[in-house]
This record gives sequence, C-alpha cells and structure tokens, in this order.
Amino acid sequence: MSILEIKNLSYKYGVGTPFEIDALDNISFSVEKGEMVAIIGHTGSGKSTLIQHFNALLKASEGQVLLEGKDINESRESAHKARFRVGLCFQYPEYQLFESTVYKDIAFGPANMGLDKAEIDRRVRKAAEFVGLKESMLDKSPFDLSGGEKRRVAIAGVMAMEPEVLIMDEPAAGLDPRGRKVILDLIKNYREKTGSTVIIVSHSMEDVASVADRIIVLNKGRVAFNDSVEEVFSHEKELREMGLNIPQITKIFSELRSFGFNLSGNVYTVDDAAEEILRYLHKGGN
Amino acid sequence: MIKDITIGQYFPGDSFIHKLDARAKLIVVFLALVEIFLCKNFLSLALVVLFAIVSVAISKISFRVVFKGMKMIYFIIVLTSILQIFYNDEGTVLLDWWKIQITTGGIFTAIFMAIRIICLILVSSLLTYTTSPTTLTDGISRLLSPLNKIKVPVDTLAMMMTIALRFIPTLIEEIDKIMNAQKARGADLDSGNLVQRAKALIPIFIPLFVNSFRRAYELAFAMECRCYNGNNKRTRMKQMKLSWRDAVAFVIIAVMLAGIILLNHFFGAVI
Ligand SMILES: Nc1ncnc2c1ncn2[C@@H]1O[C@H](COP(=O)(O)OP(=O)(O)OP(=O)(O)O)[C@@H](O)[C@H]1O
Ligand SMILES: [Mg+2]
Repeated sequence: MSILEIKNLSYKYGVGTPFEIDALDNISFSVEKGEMVAIIGHTGSGKSTLIQHFNALLKASEGQVLLEGKDINESRESAHKARFRVGLCFQYPEYQLFESTVYKDIAFGPANMGLDKAEIDRRVRKAAEFVGLKESMLDKSPFDLSGGEKRRVAIAGVMAMEPEVLIMDEPAAGLDPRGRKVILDLIKNYREKTGSTVIIVSHSMEDVASVADRIIVLNKGRVAFNDSVEEVFSHEKELREMGLNIPQITKIFSELRSFGFNLSGNVYTVDDAAEEILRYLHKGGN
Repeated sequence: MIKDITIGQYFPGDSFIHKLDARAKLIVVFLALVEIFLCKNFLSLALVVLFAIVSVAISKISFRVVFKGMKMIYFIIVLTSILQIFYNDEGTVLLDWWKIQITTGGIFTAIFMAIRIICLILVSSLLTYTTSPTTLTDGISRLLSPLNKIKVPVDTLAMMMTIALRFIPTLIEEIDKIMNAQKARGADLDSGNLVQRAKALIPIFIPLFVNSFRRAYELAFAMECRCYNGNNKRTRMKQMKLSWRDAVAFVIIAVMLAGIILLNHFFGAVI
C-alpha cells in the first residue's frame, strides 16, 4: 500500500469573496514508502497549498488524502495524529522559532507528542547532531544564530518528531550555493539513515534532480508530469512554457548528444558531468 | 477565519464614490454620521437609510460583502436593541412579568437604534471600502495640517498611520503562517481551558513580535537610507484636487440635513 495517496484533491482560496481562486484542481498521485519525491512548480503553482493538505492543516474542498489507506480528515484525532506522522517543515522555517534556547525549540514538537523526558532528550540531541549543530549551540538563544543556523534548528525541530513522511517546503530557498548543497545533502542523508519517505518542494530543478527518485510537476494547480527525473527532463519545451528550466549541464549534454557524442542522458550535476566525460574519454570516444 | 474580517479593507474601483476627493469624502462621511444622530423619527431615519443604500449601490460594492463584514457587530446591535427594550417604558404595555415590562415605546426605540447603528456602520465602512489606506491618511493629514501651527507633527503622525495600516494584511498573513507552522509541530491551539489556550499562543506571538521588530528596523533603515526626514515639507506624487463630484456630494448632504430637520419638526419624535 502507498504510504500517502492523494485522490482528486481540489482547493479554493477565498471562497465567497471577490478574490476567490482555484489553487488546486483535481490532483491525484501517490507516494510509496521510502520514496524521495520532488514537487516542482513555478511560483504560485500551488506547491505550498498542496503539502499543507498532507497533514490536515488545510481541508480540501473536494477529494481525499489517505495516509496508509486511512482518510486523515476522518476525525479531529486522526487529523491531529497525522501532524506527528507527517512532518512538515515550512518555507523559511527560521521565522517560526520562539523558545529561549535552541534545545527547547527543537523539543517543542516531541514534547507535544507527549513523550517522556529521556526520549525527548535523545531525539533532540540526535536531530541536532544530524543537522550539524554543535552541543554548545543547544543552550544559545535561537535568535542569536545566523540565518543558515536558524534554518537548521527549525529543520531539526521537525526531524526530532521522527515523522514517517518528512515534507520540506523549499528547504534551500535563499541560501548560497554551498548552503544549498549542505541542506540537500543533509536531507539525502536523513533518508538513507532512517528510511523515511521524503517529499521535497522546490522550484529549482538543479536542486532536486540529483536527489529525487521521482518528480511531480505542478502547473497552475494541476499535475503536469509525474514521472522519473529522466522522463520529466525530456519534456524541456513544455517545462519551459511552465516557467521551469532543466539544469544547464543537462542541457549541454543533450546538445552534445545531438552532435553525435555517445553520452548518457541522465547528467544533472557538474560532478556527474565530469564523471561521464572521463568515462567517455577512457572508452576512447565511443 | 481570520481572513474573513473585511472591515477596514479596501475594494478598488472607479465609481462616483471611489473618485471623490479623500478630504471631501471624510467631511461628507463625518456630516452623514452627525445627521444620523440628528434623526428623531422613522421618517427622517428612512431618509438616512435611503442615503446609505443608494451610496452602497453607487459604490458597486456588493451588499453581500458589506453585510458579511458586519457579522462581528451583529452581537453589539442585538445587545443595544435589547437594552433599549427594557429602558423605555412609554406607550402601551405589551408584557408585564415580574420586574420586566415591555412596551410599544421600548420596541420602537429598539428597532430605531438597530437601524441607526446599521446605518452608522454602513456609511463609515463605505469610507474605508472605497478609499485606499494611503489616500485616507493623506486626506486626514491634509485636513489636520492647520494643527502644524501649534507644533503637532501631523505629517509624522500620518506617516506612522500609513505604515501601520500598510502592515495589517502582512501581519494577518504572518499570523496564519506561524499558526500553521506550530500546528505542524503538534501545537494544539483550539482545545483545553483558558490558561492552556493562552499558553498555546506563546509560540505564535513570540515569532510574530520578533519578526515585526525586525521588519520595523529594516523599514526604518531603508527609509533613512533614502533620506526620509519627518520634518521636511513633503510633496505628493498624487495631488489632491476638488472636482464637481465633491460639490455634488456636499449638496446632497446639505439637502439631507434640511430634510431631516423638516421631518423632525413636522412629525412626532420616537426618541
Ligand atoms: N492564504 C492564502 N490566501 C489566498 N490565496 C492564497 C493563499 N496562499 C496562497 N494563495 C494563492 O494560491 C496560489 C498558490 O499558492 P502557493 O503558495 O501554494 O504557491 P507555491 O507554489 O508554493 O509558490 P512559491 O514557489 O512562491 O512558494 C497562488 O496563486 C497564491 O496567490
Ligand atoms: Mg510555496
């Protein structure tokens, strides 16, 4: 059974006002256990709206969200429980820190789950270590940290709940290239170590191409593609019409192939590219 | 939920009322409010009701939106009316039970008060529905500019008000976002007793305040970098000009005043 299944989901903002808009329109797909799925779309395509349905923060106008086959909106309790099973880390999570110390802030989620002190402590330390926060930082005020560090604290706060499904909304937004890589590697690591299902939201193909098993492309509140990375990238023209770009290095390689070089099609990062070129040269140019 | 509050919201448009000069509109609305209080019987009140309904119709803002925005005030209206029923003991007695006595006079005043409050809200909310907050504060500061002479920093106050108004939607949006983020971490905001609920608000309000202060600093720096200085005589990109429309509005309000005085004089008073 899929861990998460979305069935004919539609959502409208501002119903009954002059500002009513269709944010989501008849969305269906499912996510398997342990999978890493990327949801991609242009600004305003409905990504953030969509993922807020996965832990019952928003209730669909139509359609269902099934968590291991059970409708999460069945009752108030099931909706509340879903919050712990589906961990959602919002866009710019650093602006939601509030506690007096980093430790307490990371402990907020686990404490709400009603865990005992020892278990909370174990989880907080584990999550902090995971995102690369030093022990000495745990007693600092979260407001004294740098932007990137705050982001890590916020991510640790969600990871400490050890959700079965971890959803990250634009985890790398607003960071420099190195910061982006650190955060993305961290998420990749998290999945490898825990075997959790991860859904990562982004509008940058570059960020997710090398980490995701599957890409779901949203366009104006609808699913435009739902396929493997390779397959989605082969629709370059349609993607561009949706305001999305495939990674530059992938584009260069597809150009090279059209010139007759026998190169692989799934090259998404510069490292992949270097490897592929070396392989090609070793083989002696065929 | 929190987004349903429409009082104070601005609905852009290009109706006759939208196009009135902000200063003129402020004065006209003020006079209209005074006139609503001058009404003494149902006939003069009918004149005011007519004025309010026609104004809303002209503004092209749907009645549904206007009445939906008043939702929160229905309670106050009902409460005031009920109090009126008990305070007035004129007219024939309809019900006499223990210490409570309901009379026709009481019923009439209750209805009168309800209609009067609805008119007050209708007219004053029309002001904010049809005037953008910046234009409105601009209008207020222009009307109050004579106070500059007695060293009241009208322009600075107006700028503060403009900024405050400008950030209300931002704050509402942010509260929504932070609430969702904390709920995602299992915060339970809508159950438990009063103390628990108040405690549950801490994770909402601390980030809200921190972010607001941060934004305030950033805004202040940005304004200073562009050499903002409250004392300078500032000019405006959009000059305010009175037009024939404003004259028409003043004539209507004057005629209504005359009508109310006449109707009050020739027919009996309810209150
Ligand atoms: N709280 C809200 N009230 C009304 N409309 C909203 C609200 N939040 C989002 N919208 C609208 O819904 C649509 C989808 O927004 P959403 O935030 O889901 O986009 P997104 O794909 O996450 O974009 P981004 O990449 O900028 O984060 C947009 O048109 C947006 O204007
Ligand atoms: Mg978003």
